[in-house]
Amino acid sequence: MGVVMIRVRDLTLRLPSGGRTLTVLDGVSFDVEDAEVCAVTGPSGSGKSTLLGLVAGLDRPTAGTIEVAGAEVTRLGEDALARFRRDTLGFVFQAFHLIPTLTAAENVAVPLELATVPDAPARAATLLDEVGLAARGHHYPAQLSGGEQQRVAIARALALRPRILLADEPTGNLDSATGGGIIELLLGLNRERGSTLLLVTHDEALAGKADRVLRLRDGRLLDPER
Amino acid sequence: MSVAFPLRMAWRQTRGAWRHFLGFGACVALGVAALVAVGTLAVNLDGALTREAKTLLGGDVELRAARPLGDEAVAALERLRLAGARTTALQELIGMARSASGRTLPVEVKAVEPAYPLYGVVVTRPAAPLARLLTPREGGAGAVVDAALLERLGLGPGDRLALGETTLTITGVLVREPDRLASLVGLGPRVLVSAETLARTGLVRPGSRVRYRALVRLPGTVAAGAASADLARAVADPGVRVTSFDEAQPGLRRFFRRLATYLGLVGLASLLIGGIGIAAAVTTFVRRQRATIAVLKVLGADGRTLLATYLLQTQALGVLASLVGAALGAAAQPLLVRALAPLAPVALEARLDPWTLVRGVALGGLTALLCALWPLLEVRAVPPSLVLRRDVEAGAWRARRPWLAALPVGAGLAALAVWQAGSLGLGAIFVGAALAALCLLALVARGLVVLGRRGLGARGFALRQGLAGLARPGGHAARVVTALGLAVTLLVAVALLESALARQIALERRDTAPSFFFVDVQPDQVDALRRLLAAASGGTAPAPTPVVRARLAALDGVPLTHELIARRRAAAPDAARYLTREYVLTWAGEAPPADALTEGRWWTEAEAAARPRVSLEEEAARRLGVGVGGTLTFDVQGIAVTAEVTNLRRVDWQSLSVNFFAILSPGALDGAPATWIATARVSAVAEAGLQDRVVASFPNVTAIPVREVLERATALLGQLAWAVRWMAAFSVATGLVVVAGTLAATRWERLYESVILRTLGATRGAVARAFAVEYACLGAAAGLGGTLLAVVLAWIVVRFVLDVPWTLAPAPLVLGVGATAGLSLAVGSLATFRLLGQKPLAVLRRD
Repeated sequence: MGVVMIRVRDLTLRLPSGGRTLTVLDGVSFDVEDAEVCAVTGPSGSGKSTLLGLVAGLDRPTAGTIEVAGAEVTRLGEDALARFRRDTLGFVFQAFHLIPTLTAAENVAVPLELATVPDAPARAATLLDEVGLAARGHHYPAQLSGGEQQRVAIARALALRPRILLADEPTGNLDSATGGGIIELLLGLNRERGSTLLLVTHDEALAGKADRVLRLRDGRLLDPER
Repeated sequence: MSVAFPLRMAWRQTRGAWRHFLGFGACVALGVAALVAVGTLAVNLDGALTREAKTLLGGDVELRAARPLGDEAVAALERLRLAGARTTALQELIGMARSASGRTLPVEVKAVEPAYPLYGVVVTRPAAPLARLLTPREGGAGAVVDAALLERLGLGPGDRLALGETTLTITGVLVREPDRLASLVGLGPRVLVSAETLARTGLVRPGSRVRYRALVRLPGTVAAGAASADLARAVADPGVRVTSFDEAQPGLRRFFRRLATYLGLVGLASLLIGGIGIAAAVTTFVRRQRATIAVLKVLGADGRTLLATYLLQTQALGVLASLVGAALGAAAQPLLVRALAPLAPVALEARLDPWTLVRGVALGGLTALLCALWPLLEVRAVPPSLVLRRDVEAGAWRARRPWLAALPVGAGLAALAVWQAGSLGLGAIFVGAALAALCLLALVARGLVVLGRRGLGARGFALRQGLAGLARPGGHAARVVTALGLAVTLLVAVALLESALARQIALERRDTAPSFFFVDVQPDQVDALRRLLAAASGGTAPAPTPVVRARLAALDGVPLTHELIARRRAAAPDAARYLTREYVLTWAGEAPPADALTEGRWWTEAEAAARPRVSLEEEAARRLGVGVGGTLTFDVQGIAVTAEVTNLRRVDWQSLSVNFFAILSPGALDGAPATWIATARVSAVAEAGLQDRVVASFPNVTAIPVREVLERATALLGQLAWAVRWMAAFSVATGLVVVAGTLAATRWERLYESVILRTLGATRGAVARAFAVEYACLGAAAGLGGTLLAVVLAWIVVRFVLDVPWTLAPAPLVLGVGATAGLSLAVGSLATFRLLGQKPLAVLRRD
């Protein structure tokens, strides 16, 4: 039994929707251990992406607590959350979310620069090399293919060696061959660095590669732990 | 928060998105250009007036009086001469010049001594010493005249010219007279003669209107201020005005400072309109940047870092655009100088003033900062969770901004207005007017949106769709209507003011105004002149009015001294003029029928016989600080006449009849040297003939042609209106930039909408018509709101500032609404014409 990296207890999120209240998450509790690869699956609308967002402090739950790397996320203010994300989390999104006005290298350098790491451009170049895009650093996102964009996003997510990686449908916008390559890269780099990976996907094959799978339906865990 | 990240990000964002900032930059640049253009002009005018001050005054110190200088003044000047100063005396008056063929023209005569000029040079054609040109010669004394006189009378050098009772020979053309201000409304061209020649004309008689001036050029060892103060002490007579060169032309300076201030406010209005464009451009930019902002927040950028990034970006662009604007304003300088040259009393240079440039750039930068700050506050509120929600619509999420944050922004803009206006009062009026205008235009825009929603039931596809487009989310209606509406307000208000004033001035609209004033009519000429005038104007002529020139010697028994006048001048410069001015007095047994008594009552015959009484114009009474029961003492050619104020009158000065500040009771002025003023009203074609006949029979009588003076005033008004319109053009340009920017911001929506409509079977023509309805409605609403505001603004100015009757000219109103609708339609159609060519499928697939 390793150290618990993510601890979620009785997580509930209700949103107003057209005059009624919509329960997106309903009393979800689970733990993720250090260096574990944990997948969250479920049909669309089951609340998986919302769960990921709450763990990252992108939104606030209606009730419940979330502890990530020893910090109680639900208690941090907006700016403290931003710094917490910078220092602890790495993100990979379905839509890549690269900044269109920045080159690939500059996109990778953003977290390094935010953390005022010296020599950010050189380190960004090394990271791009690690994801196999050493030659494309000066290209803008619009000039890259989907797979290449996602590689840049992975390099960016890993830039500050975060203890936790959060991935939201990382292959959702890619064809299956490209997606497979991306998953190999993501899992390989995660293993190499010994970080924890929380992965949201509706792809069962991808979920099968995880150490553990959490299944969500209508905002509840199907097989609640503990 | 480190500075490096915001700096780097700001640069990278700008690098990628500079096109979005073209409109933003244009808004800032146009406003700054307007302010710099006006500011530089004002500095140049002021500088020229200061630089040329001694030349314009004609000396270091000037003594000026309405009658020959007394013994004490002559003695004081002699003492200065002994101390090494040079002095010279001048006399100036209006006379009638007459050519050999009998044509006549009022001229401004100036008689000089050989020592003239003390500063500067008189340039003549042919070039020759002035004294030689003016010496008496065979066939009459020499005279140097303006080219305008030769042109008007059809004369050339060497020709004869009669002036009063003498005949002159034109020996030269006056090219430049150093101490003559190109007066705004002069009575006629200049005729320069020697002092001896003037004496022979017979124009200087008791009661004639002559200005006596003595000019002093001091040796380097004596300061002008000290010499002027000594002279003021030595000359007790307050009718002699002592001026040193550095206090000369206060009225002229005030006029040009005010003109510059008002033009500056028009420039500030363009910057304000630009502010709407700035806010709109930044709002659109932030909306487009939402995804990037959310990603950066996920990556760990806090709200302050991001706000700093975008502020840096907009600020750098604002300053850059301000620099471009300052360069534009500087480049426009020669144009503005040329436009205002006919008004300017001195030669203007298009010289740049560093402080004006700095101020312009600062105003531009600060306006950009303040107007960008409000939409940029949204950056802090963008939720990072946007990265996860793929279903977030543009309109579903609204930034919550602290309304309190608008306070410092508004206060900052108000402070900028006060800074530019140069006074708290004027700045406050500007801010108040701008706020009221913005509120009204916002209301109009609101009404338009409501109309758009209601209009869904309208008949016809194009009309229905076009009206629905007005209610498009994003508030584009409010932006277009306010920005364009403000510009229209300025333009239409200028046009309304100009036409109201022009109507007021035009002689044709006056039923009772005379065509001529004949002044300096001697007692023995009155009956003969009246007969001549009666014959010319069809049988009757108004009785000539006797006048006596006098100045004020005491108020309520307190003698007017230089000290008292200086004290009053320091307190209220405008009011002090009433103490020193020359009064033209008359006497009457009954109240003038056109005037209204506002206080007291007219004197009875018995009261008039008992002791002198005076009826005073109410404004003069207020400025002098005397009321009914008080006394005025006039110095009438050296004899004191004390009269009790019996009543106050309101005078309609606009009537252009013979009006008086002070009317004395009959008998009060007995024995004083009186001249008469006669008037005549004849048709325009008969004017020249009548003038020639009067001057031929009465060479000393001066005819003042009212029509000509009014026409010159109209021309001056036209020049002023042109300058203001020139400035207002900046705001119109800015308004159009805002319109184009706003349409660009909704470009994608429009494209999508047009494609959907076409997919559903609408022809391109139908879609184009729908857009046309929308643009025309926006323009019409802006035109209507702006024109309405302009009417209110013009009415306030006409009623309370200019104090002339209000007339509403329909042409600017129709043009204001029609042209704005048309212009908006044209700009809008140009901006969206290309959208209609896009293939629907390509657009739909793009989403």
